[in-house]
Amino acid sequence: MKNIDATRDLAARTVALAQEAGAEQAEVLAISETSSLTRFAGNRIHQNVAENDSQISLRAVVGNRTGVASTNRLDQESLFACCESAVAIAKSSPADEAFPGLPEPTPVTASDRAIQRTIDFTAADRAQAAGAIIEQSRVRDLTAAGKVQTTIAAIAIANSLGIDCAALTTSAVATVLSMGGHGGSGWASFIGPDASELAAEALGDQAAALADRSATPGILEAGDYTVVLAPEAVGDLVEFLGWMGFSAKAVAEGRSFMTGHEGEKLMSPLVSIVDDALASHAMGPTFDYEGAAKTRAALVENGVVGSPVTDSYWAARTGTANTGHALPAPSAWGPLPLNLEMAPGDASIDELIGSVDRGVYVTRFHYVNIEDPVPVLLTGMTRDGTFLIENGKLTRPLKNLRFTQSAVQALNSVRGVTRERRLVGTEGTASYVPGLLIDGFSFTGQTG
Amino acid sequence: MKDIIAAALDAAQMSGATYADTRIVDTRSEEISVANGRVEGVESNASFGIGVRVIADGSWGFASSSEVTLDSAVVLAKQAVAIARASATVPGEPIRLADVDAYQDRWSGPCVIDPFTVPLQDKLDVLLRADETLRANEKVALTKAHMGFYAVHKHFGSTLGSYIEQDHVETGAGIVAYAVEGDEVLSRSYPNSHGGDWIQGGWEVIEAIDLPGNAPRVAEQAAALLAAEPCPTGKIDLIIDGSQLGLQVHESVGHPTELDRVLGDEAAFAGTSFLGLDDLDTLRYGSEHVTITADATVPNSLGSFGYDDEGVPAQRDPLVSDGLLTGFLTSRESATSIDRTSNGCMRADGWNRIPLIRMTTVSLEPGDWTFKDLIADTEDGLYIETNNSWSIDDKRLNFQFACEIGWEIKNGELGRMVKNPNYTGITPEFWNSCDAVCSRDHWKVWGLNNCGKGEPMQVAHVAHGAAPARFRGVSVGVGR
Repeated sequence: MKNIDATRDLAARTVALAQEAGAEQAEVLAISETSSLTRFAGNRIHQNVAENDSQISLRAVVGNRTGVASTNRLDQESLFACCESAVAIAKSSPADEAFPGLPEPTPVTASDRAIQRTIDFTAADRAQAAGAIIEQSRVRDLTAAGKVQTTIAAIAIANSLGIDCAALTTSAVATVLSMGGHGGSGWASFIGPDASELAAEALGDQAAALADRSATPGILEAGDYTVVLAPEAVGDLVEFLGWMGFSAKAVAEGRSFMTGHEGEKLMSPLVSIVDDALASHAMGPTFDYEGAAKTRAALVENGVVGSPVTDSYWAARTGTANTGHALPAPSAWGPLPLNLEMAPGDASIDELIGSVDRGVYVTRFHYVNIEDPVPVLLTGMTRDGTFLIENGKLTRPLKNLRFTQSAVQALNSVRGVTRERRLVGTEGTASYVPGLLIDGFSFTGQTG
Repeated sequence: MKDIIAAALDAAQMSGATYADTRIVDTRSEEISVANGRVEGVESNASFGIGVRVIADGSWGFASSSEVTLDSAVVLAKQAVAIARASATVPGEPIRLADVDAYQDRWSGPCVIDPFTVPLQDKLDVLLRADETLRANEKVALTKAHMGFYAVHKHFGSTLGSYIEQDHVETGAGIVAYAVEGDEVLSRSYPNSHGGDWIQGGWEVIEAIDLPGNAPRVAEQAAALLAAEPCPTGKIDLIIDGSQLGLQVHESVGHPTELDRVLGDEAAFAGTSFLGLDDLDTLRYGSEHVTITADATVPNSLGSFGYDDEGVPAQRDPLVSDGLLTGFLTSRESATSIDRTSNGCMRADGWNRIPLIRMTTVSLEPGDWTFKDLIADTEDGLYIETNNSWSIDDKRLNFQFACEIGWEIKNGELGRMVKNPNYTGITPEFWNSCDAVCSRDHWKVWGLNNCGKGEPMQVAHVAHGAAPARFRGVSVGVGR
C-alpha cells in the first residue's frame, strides 16, 4: 500500500532541497503509484502486469524565471541533482513578466477517496473477475477482450509558500468487448474508486448480449440523422469540449468556441456542463497540480456559455479567479477541466429511443479526433452496438458509421437528456454524463 | 547491471518460470517549448527502473519497479511468477515462442553532438528566433516552437543466455504558425505537425532542420490560408505529400499488419485488423506500385535499433510486395501463428511496460516519378501537405485525414491554394487506387514519437519513409 505520509514528506523534503540548490520559490509534485492490470483477449488472459513507481517533479523559480525537472531516482544525491537541474534551467530561461509567482495556500476540502477493498484487490481477484467476464461470452460462443485494472496513487504537492496537501486515491477500471462471428460486437465498462463494486458477471453479460443483438449489421446511407447517444458516446463529445474549449488559455489564444461568446447561448437550453471535483461521484484529488483548491466551474448553463477554467498563471493573465485546474508544470495545454459533468434530464434512454421516428442509436465512438478547433469539429467512428431506430424501436444493427460533426453544433441540437448518468472515461479524466437525443447529427461514411 | 539481471532470471527460474527476460532501462529527456515569444516550458526528466517478464504455468506475468537492486530484482521475479500463475487460472492455450538465438552484444545509435551538453541558451536562441520570425507576419496571431531530446540506455537479459546493451539518442523540433480571423484558426507547420520531425541523432539534427530559416515561408502560408478557397467536395485525383503519406502508411498499413492486432490481442482498446492469417500471400493490398517494408536498420531512423526488446536482431522485412500482402509485424509469440520466426518488432515504452508489437520504419518504397512530372501528368486534382487530423476505425479500414494545406491541380499545373482539405477512404480500395509514386529523390523518413497502443498506454517512437504519390478518385471535402 502506498504511504501518503512518506509521499508528503518526499514533497516537503524536495522543496527544502530546491531552496538549498538556489531556488527562490519551489513547488514539488510527488506521486507514488502502484498499478496492476490484467488484460484478456480471445477468452484468455494474455497480459498481466504490475508496476510500482514513485517520482517527483520540481518547479524551481528564480525571479520570474522557472525551470522544471523530474526524476524517479529518489536518493538524496539524485534528488539534489534534480533540484540543481531545475534551478539551472530557471536561471537560463528568459524572464516571464506575466509569471505571478507560485500560488499561496488556499483551504482545500479534505477528501478520503481511497477504498481499502481496491487496495486489497489481488492478481487472483483480477483473474477471477476476468474469468467471470469471459465466461459470459464463452457460453454464447463469443470472444471477449478487455481488462481489469486497479491503481493506488498517493499524490502530494508542496511549495515554499506553504502549500502542503496530499491525497490517497484508488481506482478500478474494467472493460469488455464481446465479439461474434457475424460482425456483431458489444461493449460494457466500469470505472469507480471501489473494485468491489465491479459486477464482473453482469458486465460480461451486458457486452455479450449487445454482441448477440448487433450481429449481421447492415448498411445506412450517409446523411444527417437524429441520434440517441449512450453516455459513453456523450463522454467523448464532452471531453473534446474540455480539451479544445474550456481552458482560459485556449480562450485567450482565440482557439476556443468560448472566445468572444461568454454569456451567449450557443447550445440547447437542456445542456448544462460543470467541472466539479468535489462532487460525490468525482474521482481523484480535490486540489489541482499546483495544490490549489479545485472549485466548481459552471462552463455551460442552460446552453449559455460561462467562463473557462484557470490556473494561477492564466488567472493572473486574464484578471480572473484561480479555479484550481492546473496541470503538472510546465503545461503547454494550460488549465484543463478533469471532472466534467453534464446535468441530467427527465427521460429514460428507452423514452429517448421511443421518441425517434427514424434515427441511429450509438453505444460508443472510436478514434475521435479534432478537425477544426473552434467549432470543435470532430470525426470518428461508431463502434460496438450501432442500431437503426425506426418508429421508436431499435430495429436492426448497423455497420460502423463515420461521423464528421461539430460538438458545439451537436449540443445546440439536443432535444432530450436522460435522468440516469454514468461515470465514463479513464481514471484521469472521468466524466459524469447522461444519454442524449440529438437532431441532425452528420454521418459522412460507413465501413461497408 | 548484469548481476541484477542475473539475479532476476535465477529467481524467476527457481520460482518455476519456464522463460524469463529482464530489462533495466535508464531514460533521460528534455523538452523546450516556446509560444508567442514566451518560454512556456523547459523540462528535464529522468526515469530508471527494472521490469521482469516471465512465463509460468504457460502464462505471462510481468512486474516492475523503480527500485533497481539485487533484492528488488528477486522480489519482482517472484511477483511476476505469481502474477503468471494467476493468469493461468483462466483456461487458455499455453504460450509458445518462436526460436531465437542467444546474443551477447552492444549497439549504439548515431549521435554526433550530444544534445544534453548543448547550453540551454543555444536551444532557446533557435526557438525564439524562429518564433519571432513567425510573429513578424501580422496575420499570424499565435506561434509555437518546440524541440526535444530523448536518450535511452538499456540492458536486456534472458534465460536463453542473451545479454544485450543498447543506447541511442533522439532529437526533434518543429514550429507552428496559427493565422486567426473571426472563428477561423488555420495552422501551418514545419517540418511536420504534431511536434515536428524526430530523428535518431544529436544537436546536428536541430542544425539541419533549420527552424528559423523556414519560418518566413511557414508564416506566409499560414496567413495566405485565411484567403484560400475551401476544399472542393467530391471524388478527385489526389497527390499526397511524403509526411502525410507517412501517417497514411502508419494508420492503414502499419497498424493493420501488427500480428497481435490480427490475432485479436488489442481488440478492446486499439482494435483489431481487417486482415486475417489467410490473407498472407493472397490479399491484394494495393496496386503494383505499392511496396511497403518494415526495416529496423534504416540509419538515423526512429524505428531503428540493434535488437528488439525480446532480444531479436533488427531486420528488414517486406509487408506488401508489388501490392500483395507478404508479411506481418511480429513477436516471438505471434510469429508461431504463421509458422515464421519473429521479425523483431517488440518494443516497450520503458522499464515499466511489457514489449508489444510496434512498427519499426514502415515505408512506402519509392517509385520512379519526379514530382514535377507527376503534377504535369494530372489533369484535374488536388495536392495536399502536412497532417492536421487523423481517424480510423477499429479494423483499420475506414479512415479520414485532414491536412493543413492544399493546391488545386488544373491541366497539369498547381493552381489555387485550398484550406482545410480532408479525404476519406477504405484501406484496400485506397491503396489499389495508387498509380504513381515519386522517386527516391523525393523520399524521406519521417519520425513519429507519439504512437499510442496497449493498456497501460505505451507510446512508441516509429518512422515512415514516403515520397509523394497519386491516388485516383479519392473522396475529399468530407463534412465541410
